[in-house]
Amino acid sequence: MLTMTNVKKVFRTDLVETHALRDFNLQVNEGEFVAVTGPSGSGKTTFLNIAGMLETFNGGSYVLDGQDVSHLNDNQRSKLRNEKIGFIFQSYNLIPDLNLFDNVDVPLRYRGFDAKERKQRIEESLETVGLANRMKHLPSQLSGGQQQRVAIARALAGKPRFLLADEPTGNLDSAMAQSVMELLQSINQSGTTIVMVTHDPQLAQQAARNIYVKDGQVSEVHDVLKMHVANA
Amino acid sequence: MLELGPIFRALLRNKVGALLIAVQIAFTMAIIVNSVFIIYERSQETKRPSGLDEANSFFISSSGFGENFGAKATIEKDLTDIRAISGVVSAIQINAIPVSGGGWSMSLQTEPGAEHDGVGTAVYMVNENGLDALGLELLAGENFVASDIRWRQNSESTWPDKVIVTKAMAERLFPDIDYGQSVGKTVYINDNEPMIIVGIIDKLQAPWVGWNNVENSMLSPEHQETDSVRYFIRTAPGQRDSTMKQVEELLAKNKERVVDGMRSIEYVRERSYRGHTAMIKILTTVIITLTIVTSLGIVGLASFSVNRRKKQIGIRRALGARKIDVIKYFMLENLMISGVGVLLGAGLTIALNMLLVKALSITPMDWFYIPIGMIVLCLIGQLAVYGPAKKATGIAPAIATRTV
Ligand SMILES: Nc1ncnc2c1ncn2[C@@H]1O[C@H](COP(=O)(O)OP(=O)(O)OP(=O)(O)O)[C@@H](O)[C@H]1O
Ligand SMILES: [Mg+2]
Repeated sequence: MLTMTNVKKVFRTDLVETHALRDFNLQVNEGEFVAVTGPSGSGKTTFLNIAGMLETFNGGSYVLDGQDVSHLNDNQRSKLRNEKIGFIFQSYNLIPDLNLFDNVDVPLRYRGFDAKERKQRIEESLETVGLANRMKHLPSQLSGGQQQRVAIARALAGKPRFLLADEPTGNLDSAMAQSVMELLQSINQSGTTIVMVTHDPQLAQQAARNIYVKDGQVSEVHDVLKMHVANA
Repeated sequence: MLELGPIFRALLRNKVGALLIAVQIAFTMAIIVNSVFIIYERSQETKRPSGLDEANSFFISSSGFGENFGAKATIEKDLTDIRAISGVVSAIQINAIPVSGGGWSMSLQTEPGAEHDGVGTAVYMVNENGLDALGLELLAGENFVASDIRWRQNSESTWPDKVIVTKAMAERLFPDIDYGQSVGKTVYINDNEPMIIVGIIDKLQAPWVGWNNVENSMLSPEHQETDSVRYFIRTAPGQRDSTMKQVEELLAKNKERVVDGMRSIEYVRERSYRGHTAMIKILTTVIITLTIVTSLGIVGLASFSVNRRKKQIGIRRALGARKIDVIKYFMLENLMISGVGVLLGAGLTIALNMLLVKALSITPMDWFYIPIGMIVLCLIGQLAVYGPAKKATGIAPAIATRTV
C-alpha cells in the first residue's frame, strides 16, 4: 500500500540545514492501522506530509498503491491526494466561512462528483460521525470534538483508501480523544488504511501497529498485536 | 467544478469588504460609461464638417472711420483688389462666420402669420459669389445672380425675396417632401415676409457649434452697407498663409480704417471646440484615474483576502485543489463581487445619464453602452484579481499541517 525506501527530506534555510528525514524506510500494508510516535521534531509530520504528497522529498523512493509518486507534477499529486488520501489535522482545519455541509463538500467538488452524488456522500459521512443534524451549522458553533468529527467526515466522504492523521486528538480532552479513536477504529475496520501520528501512548497502544520515529528514521517497530500475543 | 454556491455563501459571511468594492465598481462604471459616452459624442461633434473649405479659408474685419469713408465704394474696391491677388479663389463680404461663435439667426416658417411656429436658422448675407467663396455644393435649384444682390442699410428690416437654404433646413421646413422639391416653395421670415427658396446647398453650419439647429443655415442675397465689414476669403490649396499677409497689407493701405480680426477658419474651429477638447481630456483623465483606483481596490481586497485565507488555501490544496482551482476560486469570487457591482452600476449609469441629460442637455445614452460597460468592468476586475490569485497558488499545501 505505502512503501518508503531511504526517503530523505532536508529543509534548508539561510542559516541551517535540517535533515528532517534520513533514510526513512517504512512499509504499510492495506488495511493496517499504524500509530506513529516519537519525540517532538523527530520528523513525524514531515513523514506524514510526504506520505500525503503535501511535500516533496529529496531522495529515496515512495510508492503509493503501486505507483511511484516521486516524479508526479503538482496537478497529478493534487489529483492523487484528492482520490486516495483523507487528511485529519490536529487543529481540525475546517474552513470557518463554510457550514458543515459545504466543508465536507470541498474535496468532493475537486473530485468532480455531481451534485446528487456529493449530497449523498456528505449526508452519509456526516451520519457516520453523528452530526447529520447540524449540516447548516458553522464550525465555530461546534465543540472541538465535534469539529474533529466533521474533519473526519470530510476525510471519509471521498472514500479514500488511506487516512492520514496528524495528532487528531491533540486538542481534545481524553474522553473526546477516546471517542475519536473509536471512530477511527471503526473506519479502519471497514477497510481504510490509517496512519496516525500521536503523542499519546495510550491511544497508540490501541492501534494494531506502532512505529517509533527518532531523528528522522524509523527506529523501532512495535507490533502491538504480536506483543500482546507474546505477553499473553 | 464551479463552486458558485459555497463561494457565494462564504462571501456573505464577509460581506462588508466585498460590498464596498462592489459599490466602488458600481460608481466607477457609472462614471466611466457616461464619460465614454460623452467623449464619443463630443468627439463626433468636433469632427462634423462645417461645409466650408476649412483648410483654405480665412476672414478679416475692418472698421472705417472719418467723414469721407464710403462704405459701398470701399467694399466694392476691396473685393476687386482682394480677388486680384494671386492665390485668391474667391472673396465675399459676409455678416457672420460659420462655427465662429457669433452671428445672426432668424426663423423661417412655411405659413405666414405670428401664430405659426418657425424653424431657427443662421443667416449669412452673401452675394452671388457666396457659394464659391464658402466652398458650398449646390444640390438643387440655382445660385443667386448679380441682379439678386441688394445693398442692405443698417436700419433695414425687410428681407430679399430669394433665399438659399441648407438641405437640413429644407428637410426641417418640409419634412414630407424630398428636399429637392422644396425649391420654388415660399417660406416666411419675420412671420409674414415671403422668400422663395431658389437653391438647396448641401452643408453649412451655423456659427454656434453647441446649437441644436447647427445644421440650419440660410443665405440671403445682400451686401451690408456698413463701415464695419468682414470679408471671407478662400484661397488655392496651400496659399492661405501667404495670402493672409497680402490681404492684411492691402486693406491697411486705406488709412481711414482699422484692420483687425484676421483669423483662419481652422483657428476659429479649434477655438469653438476648445471646450469639447478640454472636456474630452478631463474625462479621459477621470476614466484612467478611476480605472486605476478601482483596480487597486480590487487588488487590495484580493491580496488581503488571500493573506487572510492562507491557511484555508493550504487546506484546500491538501484536500485536492489544484493550483488552477485556487485561481478559479478567486476569479469566481471576484466575478460575483463585480457582478453585484455592475448590476448596481447599470442602475447608477442610467441615473447619472438621466441627470446629465437634464443638466447638460446631452442626448440620452444608447442602450448598448450599459452591457458593454458591465462586461468591461468585469474584465477589469478579473485582470486585477489575477495577480493576487496567482500568488495564492504559491501557498504550500503543507501549511495545513505546519501551522496551528
Ligand atoms: N518548513 C520547515 N522549514 C525548516 N525546517 C522544518 C520545516 N518543517 C519542519 N522542519 C524541521 O524538520 C524537523 C522535523 O519536523 P516535524 O514537524 O516533522 O517534527 P514532528 O515530529 O512532527 O514534531 P512534533 O511532534 O513537534 O509535531 C524539525 O527539526 C523541524 O524544525
Ligand atoms: Mg508534528
